[in-house]
Amino acid sequence: MEEPEEIRIGVFVCHCGLNIAGVVDVEEVTEYAKTLPGVVHAEHNPYTCSEPGQKAIKEAIKKYRLNRVVVASCSPRMHEPTFRQVIQEAGLNPYLLEMANIREHCSWCHSHEPREATEKAKDLVRMAVAKARHLRPLKPIEVPVTNRALVIGGGIAGISAALNLAEMGYKVYLVDRYESIGGHMAQLDKTFPTLDCSICIEGPLMVDVARHPNIELITYAEVKEVEGYVGNFKVKVEKKPRYVDESKCTGCGECRDACPIEVPNDWDMFLGVRKAIDVPFDQAVPLVYRIDRDHCIECYKCVEACGPREAIDFSQQPEELTLEVGAIIVATGYDIYLPYDDPRYGYGKYDNVITALEMERLHVAAGPTKGVIRRASDGKVPKSVAFIQCVGSRDVTRFPYCSGICCMYSIKNAVLLKEKHPETEVYILYTDMRTNYKGYEEFYNRAKELGIKFIRIDLEKRQILEDPKTKNLIIRAETEEGKTIELEVEMVVLASAMVPKAGTKDLARVLGLSVGPNGFFMEAHPKLRPIETLVDGIFIAGCCQGPKDIQFSVAQGAAAAVKAAEILSKKALEIEPLVAAVDEVRCRGCGRCEEVCEFGAIKVLEENGRLVARVNEALCKGCGACSVRCPTGAIKVRNFGPEQIRAQAIAAIRR
Amino acid sequence: MPMRIWKTDTPERLVIERRLHVHKHKLELDRTKCVGCELCSLICPREAITVKVPEKNGSEGPRKPVIDVDEEKCQFCGICNCICPFGAIKVLKDGQPIIPVAESESFPRLLREVVVDVSKCPPGCKECEDACPLGLIKVSVVGPDGRELSLEEAKAYPRPEELKVNVEIDLDGCPGCRLCELKCPEGAIRAVKVIHGSIRINTDLCPEGCKDCVDVCPVPGTLTVGPDGKVVVNEVTCVYCGVCRLVCPVEEAIELTRTYIRHEPIKSGAWNKALEKLTSTVHLTRELVAKSMERGQEVVEKRLGWIIARSGS
Ligand SMILES: Cc1cc2nc3c(=O)[nH]c(=O)nc-3n(C[C@H](O)[C@H](O)[C@H](O)COP(=O)(O)OP(=O)(O)OC[C@H]3O[C@@H](n4cnc5c(N)ncnc54)[C@H](O)[C@@H]3O)c2cc1C
Ligand code: SF4
Repeated sequence: MEEPEEIRIGVFVCHCGLNIAGVVDVEEVTEYAKTLPGVVHAEHNPYTCSEPGQKAIKEAIKKYRLNRVVVASCSPRMHEPTFRQVIQEAGLNPYLLEMANIREHCSWCHSHEPREATEKAKDLVRMAVAKARHLRPLKPIEVPVTNRALVIGGGIAGISAALNLAEMGYKVYLVDRYESIGGHMAQLDKTFPTLDCSICIEGPLMVDVARHPNIELITYAEVKEVEGYVGNFKVKVEKKPRYVDESKCTGCGECRDACPIEVPNDWDMFLGVRKAIDVPFDQAVPLVYRIDRDHCIECYKCVEACGPREAIDFSQQPEELTLEVGAIIVATGYDIYLPYDDPRYGYGKYDNVITALEMERLHVAAGPTKGVIRRASDGKVPKSVAFIQCVGSRDVTRFPYCSGICCMYSIKNAVLLKEKHPETEVYILYTDMRTNYKGYEEFYNRAKELGIKFIRIDLEKRQILEDPKTKNLIIRAETEEGKTIELEVEMVVLASAMVPKAGTKDLARVLGLSVGPNGFFMEAHPKLRPIETLVDGIFIAGCCQGPKDIQFSVAQGAAAAVKAAEILSKKALEIEPLVAAVDEVRCRGCGRCEEVCEFGAIKVLEENGRLVARVNEALCKGCGACSVRCPTGAIKVRNFGPEQIRAQAIAAIRR
Repeated sequence: MPMRIWKTDTPERLVIERRLHVHKHKLELDRTKCVGCELCSLICPREAITVKVPEKNGSEGPRKPVIDVDEEKCQFCGICNCICPFGAIKVLKDGQPIIPVAESESFPRLLREVVVDVSKCPPGCKECEDACPLGLIKVSVVGPDGRELSLEEAKAYPRPEELKVNVEIDLDGCPGCRLCELKCPEGAIRAVKVIHGSIRINTDLCPEGCKDCVDVCPVPGTLTVGPDGKVVVNEVTCVYCGVCRLVCPVEEAIELTRTYIRHEPIKSGAWNKALEKLTSTVHLTRELVAKSMERGQEVVEKRLGWIIARSGS
């Protein structure tokens, strides 16, 4: 199917300021390009992506009647769409563009060898030109869009995303793994820097979620499987049995009072107990009880207490739902690190060492101590408390990053403690204080005015010991100057790190997302695309992307909603045609392509009495595995087929 | 403080303690009272309790089974506390003995009954105290001046009608073996068995010279070796704890069935389940039918229907 038309290639070499031109001799590369077969024009420009650079391409296309364009500049990741747009505006099919990456692959990595770099740039241009000769015009593929969204995780970030989308008029499924939405914010007492009561400000939003006609709340459920692609995801969700019928439970709590079984309460960080039939907290949404069948003894006292409401159903089974959505927002939050493995802190060994989240539960009026700060060893209000910062965080052997919010939450808990028990001595042992953002530094100053003592200590040299008689704690630490200090307190609160939510890796696998080196979900670009992921149509918000506080989680939730709406608002989406295509005449229907396809994009079907492979273009990622496997050469990735690749490879070795 | 769990195991007692920031839960097994029967392990809803029968090795001596409790599984519900015929298990919360399942009427306490008509007691007699194999009975005699008399003094006391006899019985540990009743020369005691049933030993199956069952039986005289060297059962005193069957090296040599357990009246699925395991479905249904024809059927249906649903999945 050779095109009879004459091939007329234009090559545009970019300086990228001094990024390329500072190393590579762009003049020489341009002159060299002119000598290559098919090239009718070559020029170099200071910034090809800039307005004048783009104009130069358009003009050259007209003037030299170019029908292929090669841009030798940066990685196609950023600017391929830019240049495709440019040549399309000049009347060419956008897929008749080829890029040679002479920046990332050349000038940047060979900055000390300009001569060799120039030669390599010439090689890259030659290869690109060789491939360009074989490019075919393509048409983008159009796929319809399902205008519903799925939000995974109903913490404050997920709530923010769901409410924003619902308000824009889109139907939202909000799936949370836990019995109630709310996430960590519902566990906190007050929030810095304003000291708003946490559940008082989050509770109404949780209720809004439950009431919103556009939101379908699916709690106590796990996302099991995701199929499909942007605009058209099919999601399998498993709803775990609560053994209480959601539609019949009135949330009265009579079953709880009747139940004899007490179970350590996960919601309270195991400080107190809950019943085998219970809700995690009184403001839970949905307010539906759940039976913990691991602990239930099946006495049926709850059934008796429930009486004619008949909400309790021991025969409930897991339920599988299939949701069809156009976009997915992941807002699965974080876990707090429990420093059992760090012997310096004696966590889990000494009665009076707790984490900050345990402290939050002690502060909460509805918590296990009704808001009174008590030591575990004797139930007394401690006369002195030390907060120790950077536990697990900034520790190269554990979590090398800064959790960012621990400075603020420790100051908050210290202030609350001081306000409740002014006679208590409060210390904050820190290494660096991080109180950026609005109102935070002022809050820090307020803490100092309240008489909270801030002592700077070394990040590593710290050790807690227990006085076995009094159960007081002796903290030995080194100051910046190398002086050893010793401090005896009645209680220690550890500012432990925010770590990736348990199950993040599994969910990443299900969604096809990547996680960064610290285990949080990875964004498409840390600065410019913090909400997007590398999978089109899937966005991340809140602490699942990295540690942050409530205001940023809310902002990211809203941002993710906008990003999702960008997709949901369209009737159809265009996707890249650079995918596998089957030559039906050659295909024997052997099914090897179907076997190797990792994305389930190929199916061998019977058509007119013979077997033939069919590609779901929306699922195909254009990886080419099928093409390698095909014994007859019937399946090829468009513009990345043997003819293009072979031409490029031959050009690489033949100068 | 994060949750912490301890386990201390000595030949005298096994203690499991779970400490939360605001609560302490404790389970105490008094090994000196525990006879090693399997009742608790049969009905523990979390399957936290296991019984290990010591290996039979050449050397003689009773092979009393040893109870172990998995500290990770125990949830301090108190079902074992309720069922132990010998009162060997106690559950405590924050230092106070408490049986959560009994408080909520999710599980019955056993009904133990030993009635003594002290007016019939001759001062100075302590046959019952001596007879009790578990040491639960304490007989005392008080003179008209309120002074406690020794038994010899009481016997020799000139005006016995002035003396007052007290018989204190620690009922919590009494399985109702009736030895006190049988030994009382005056017929002053009436003791009721807690567990009723039947026991039969198929002596044809007994290995030559084996008397493991006799060695572990907590009630002396219930199992004895007869003149022909075969084990003989005296059912009158058997408490149907089943420890004999547990140590018996031959399967089916001892046939033991429990038919009825005296307990506080109760309506509870957990008890029905326990009863089914301790006795049999037949006896469970009998109890349920007795309670209420209609209600009984409903519960059985619920239980069985649900078992069918579960096994089907
Ligand atoms: C001790 C402490 C004190 C703090 N105090 C403050 C403060 O005063 N002010 C402030 O601004 N910030 C504070 N923070 C930070 C605050 O908790 C977080 O910024 C905020 O809660 C993050 O919300 P999120 O929605 O991202 O995550 P989370 O609150 O963690 O919510 C995640 C939700 O996703 C669900 N989920 C997780 N995995 C899955 C899954 N696989 N499938 C379905 N659902 C899933 C969870 O059940 C949960 O409901 C504090 C943090 C700590 C540790
Ligand atoms: S049946 Fe289970 S959940 Fe219901 S009251 Fe009894 S122990 Fe509690």
